[in-house]
Amino acid sequence: MTAITGVGAYAPRFRISSEAFEEAWGQFHAAGVTQKAVPSADEDALTMGYEAATRALEAAETDPGEIDWLGFASSRPPAAEEDPTARLGAMLALSESATGQVFTGSTRAGTRALWAGLDALEAESTTALVVAADAPKGDPDDGMDHAAGAGSAAFVVEREGPAEITDRAEYSAPYPGTRFRNTGEDETRGLGVTQYDRQAFSETIGGAVSGLEVDPDPEAAAIQAPDGKLPYRAAGAAGVSTDDIQAAATVHELGDLGAASVPVSLATALADGYESVLGVSHGSGAGADAFVVSTEGDVPAETALEGADTLSYAEYLRQRGVVTTGPPSGGGAYVSVPSWKRSLPQRYRLEAGRCSKCGALSFPPEGACDDCGALAEYEPLELTGEGTIEAVTTISQGGAPPEFAEQQAKAGDYAAAIVALETDSGDQTVSAPAMGADADPDAFAVGDRIETTIRRIYTQEGVTRYGFKIRPASD
Amino acid sequence: MRDAYLVGAGQSDYGTFPSESYRSLFRTAFDAATDSVQNGLEAEDIDEAVIGNLGVGGRQLGLSGPAVTEHVGLDGVPTTRVENACAASGFAVRQAVQAVKSGMADVVLAGGFEIMSDMSSDATKYWLGVSGETEWERLSGTTFSGVYAQMASVHMEQYGTTREQLSRVAVKNHANGAKNPHAQLGFECSLEDAQSAPVVADPLNLYHCCPTSDGAACALIVSEDVVDDYTDDPIRVAGVGAGSDNVGLFQRDTYTGVPASQRAGEKAYEMAGVEPDDLDFAEVHDCFAIAELLAYEDLGFCETGEAGQLIESGETELGGELPVNTSGGLKSKGHPIGATGAGQVVEAYKQLTENAGERQVENPTRGLTHNVGGSGGAAVVHVFEKEQEVSA
Repeated sequence: MTAITGVGAYAPRFRISSEAFEEAWGQFHAAGVTQKAVPSADEDALTMGYEAATRALEAAETDPGEIDWLGFASSRPPAAEEDPTARLGAMLALSESATGQVFTGSTRAGTRALWAGLDALEAESTTALVVAADAPKGDPDDGMDHAAGAGSAAFVVEREGPAEITDRAEYSAPYPGTRFRNTGEDETRGLGVTQYDRQAFSETIGGAVSGLEVDPDPEAAAIQAPDGKLPYRAAGAAGVSTDDIQAAATVHELGDLGAASVPVSLATALADGYESVLGVSHGSGAGADAFVVSTEGDVPAETALEGADTLSYAEYLRQRGVVTTGPPSGGGAYVSVPSWKRSLPQRYRLEAGRCSKCGALSFPPEGACDDCGALAEYEPLELTGEGTIEAVTTISQGGAPPEFAEQQAKAGDYAAAIVALETDSGDQTVSAPAMGADADPDAFAVGDRIETTIRRIYTQEGVTRYGFKIRPASD
Repeated sequence: MRDAYLVGAGQSDYGTFPSESYRSLFRTAFDAATDSVQNGLEAEDIDEAVIGNLGVGGRQLGLSGPAVTEHVGLDGVPTTRVENACAASGFAVRQAVQAVKSGMADVVLAGGFEIMSDMSSDATKYWLGVSGETEWERLSGTTFSGVYAQMASVHMEQYGTTREQLSRVAVKNHANGAKNPHAQLGFECSLEDAQSAPVVADPLNLYHCCPTSDGAACALIVSEDVVDDYTDDPIRVAGVGAGSDNVGLFQRDTYTGVPASQRAGEKAYEMAGVEPDDLDFAEVHDCFAIAELLAYEDLGFCETGEAGQLIESGETELGGELPVNTSGGLKSKGHPIGATGAGQVVEAYKQLTENAGERQVENPTRGLTHNVGGSGGAAVVHVFEKEQEVSA
């Protein structure tokens, strides 16, 4: 058997309401969506995946080193070509020998990753981590974009545990044109042939559910939700009630989560304590995956899906980069990709060094000891990601290095601080500079407690650099 | 060791000059410096040249030292370019003093130049942060305004320094710069203006930040063996001190002081055998308002934490006990990076030769210049002294 042993879910802090769209456009094209989550300028599928994955690992109390299979799913991975699982694995401190697989090209990718994880567990793997993160995007005047939300979910899956996957089946039938994005295009679109689209949706969902060995009778149904109406139209095909769908629905508050739609709904259903959940994804093309989860006892879950920071439509266009120009041209103070790569243990996992001569910490651990000046060896040591602000400023428009001009155009002023980061035992600290994230800049003051997370730092020569930033401590 | 003397100094105007090149600006400064020598000084007298520069228009130039010295007819003269960011030509002056004191040269030209205004503002920004710690500090989203703002945040937290006190630095330096024909921003500003300007990096607003500038400056340093050929009123380089530190603020021992400045100041005072009380004026590195306040403390003009009160007392204004930045400082006179340190020496020379016009300090004997690279990765301090008055 295979079972989920830990659940994590995450949505960015920003929300925009359907009213904001109506005010801007005179109408709102995403039926059933009240508000939706909007990623910050420094977030993408990889960072959202990291947010969910750290929570899942923490909930499952799983040592990252135990993960031997990692699947990452998104209809919008950060790059069309380049495997993000190596970076995600390094951010999460997984073993270099863990299997990494990417699933994309469809909103069904999240459940495809789950499928592959289950297959791996039925073969040689013992501990799988399935991560789905997405933030769909369409043309601003298209319903696809009106619905497009942002979120992620992650599951630690093992051979035994409190949430068993008892049954699964899949179905596909050719339905081109319902939702697609050609190579080189940035916006997802569909032809909008209403009845044809609905037929593609219902036929694949019905086909997958019929393939299950036992007719499901779930307490909650996590159905693919491109908008707030379509999943309910498929209730009959899935053999569930609209109440079952409502129980696990996240689309009304978070919008269309693409490949993370069913995973986030499943995560909330498990976190809410439902004992039987039917999951059915749908991806254009078209195909569907259906699976049944039965729980016994609590399923460890850690979710962070609330968001209270409301955007106006103009702010929404800025955050998403629709009305901003790209980075300024120029050069100078250049950090090459190879030198960035060498610093990844620090950027991803806060690896400091303890001076073998005096015992003081250095960050980054290179060159002479900051304390005693000795050119001694450093014993590597990972900091906790908690600490205190020592010095801080708010960088206003015009005050940012040009690497951050585009981010600032999207997201506005930001905090830049020096923080004293702590060791596990809490008896030593070492200082590091870090940018503020996840809160307004005035939420950072000298003496405040902070925690680290991983975000996009900047993109140069087309290569996005990720590293730690700080946010106000959650405790 | 032989003594070294300052026998001439001059500068171009600081500002933005689309019709000037880095060479033409340097020539203006060179001519002004040689013209300022009491008994005259010819190009062929010069044994050595040390030139401070960060990068013309942000472009890397190899051999930028000889490129300007050949333009003023010094081809053949050994020329070295010094790069210590904003302290480049302060260190060029120091190297000139070392060359003279070592006995290897009798007449040394120490200068600096920078062109910062001939690119788009985007391209200029790419360049401005290059003297900070790049991999961590800059990539946490800061340029120098941000790093100095961080220092200000801690100084305000620890010592109760206020935004108004920061603005008073701008008011004072603009009042002085308005009296300096070479100043880039040679206008007065009110305390209200200096408090209501747009924020750059909180708590620093636009009036707390120096401009970017084009400009050049030169100083002539000679040995005791030849000083009498050039002047009857010698100005001795009484003290020289320099220091360095971690380039990134986060790796330093303190955020409320610049240890490199402290080291440089202590050494210079010790060599000159003087104390801060003995100074009649000082040119300090006020790239940001907080930097001038930190300099007050680092150079011993007041106790640690009391710089806010010192600026408020008016003692550092013209006519006060210790006028600071009579030239207008980097804030009003301008900050053409590679020229700034030599430009401070120009002001010291004008003050000590009583050629400072409306901003003349009354009968000065001794003045200090203080030049900082980056946010404190390097610093250099000089003490200049009118010799006859001391011995008399």
